[in-house]
Amino acid sequence: MSTPTHFKSGREGRGAAFVADHHGSEHARFMRLTSYALAPLGILAVWYLAGVVGLSADGVRAAIGRPFPALTLIAFGVIGMIHAREGMNEIILDYVHDPALKDKALRANQWAARAIAALWTLALMLIAAPR
Amino acid sequence: MDSSGSANADSDPHGAQRPLSPHLSVYRPMMTMMMSIAHRITGAGLYVAMALLTLLFIGVGMGGAFYAAFGWLGSSAIGGLLVFLITWAIYHHLLGGVRHFLWDRGLYMDPKGREALAIGTLVGGVGLTVLTWIAKSLAG
Repeated sequence: MSTPTHFKSGREGRGAAFVADHHGSEHARFMRLTSYALAPLGILAVWYLAGVVGLSADGVRAAIGRPFPALTLIAFGVIGMIHAREGMNEIILDYVHDPALKDKALRANQWAARAIAALWTLALMLIAAPR
Repeated sequence: MDSSGSANADSDPHGAQRPLSPHLSVYRPMMTMMMSIAHRITGAGLYVAMALLTLLFIGVGMGGAFYAAFGWLGSSAIGGLLVFLITWAIYHHLLGGVRHFLWDRGLYMDPKGREALAIGTLVGGVGLTVLTWIAKSLAG
């Protein structure tokens, strides 16, 4: 879905982003498909997030450590970070024009998104683990 | 030399020097444009927000020094304000997606409809956020 772009717009510097890289419809379809899952998950996530404010560590564990909230938040985090990775790719393509920097930023985005999704999942598994 | 004035910097030696057509600077601010910008800002903000919430969950899951370092994200007033803003950003971005979903089907594309939909994103996002937090405080 995400491809590091080796595409050349024909324009350098200012304006380089204003020429399509021909991945628009693929991107739009991917964002829409992931958002079908994210819309319900997001509403539930908001509910759980609003519920952990002001609580102690034990309070947070009691609030979201049960299977359904924990699994819901894990799904939201993983699908959300895939969706966010694709969105951040578009932002980088729009604003970072230097080819070398663009490649670095796109690669950093891949790994940052994976790291957040993995640590998010691990942390929620720790919260939900019986102790 | 390409006398047609192509923007291609490879075939036209003057391509890179040519001015761009003005875009943002000649636009009267419109709700659709503002909400498009807000959609991108909330999206990028949620990327950072997920990293912050991950730190909070690591703190809660690991306890000890980790909770001492990141627990404030959930327990302090500033942390509470951040989580409040995050919930607003989720709602705002979600409604922005619904707006695009409707537009993709050709609905509300007329001048009045598209502005109304953009205002709906703004008002709906704030409204849903406030309602959620009221409901949550009532639910205990």
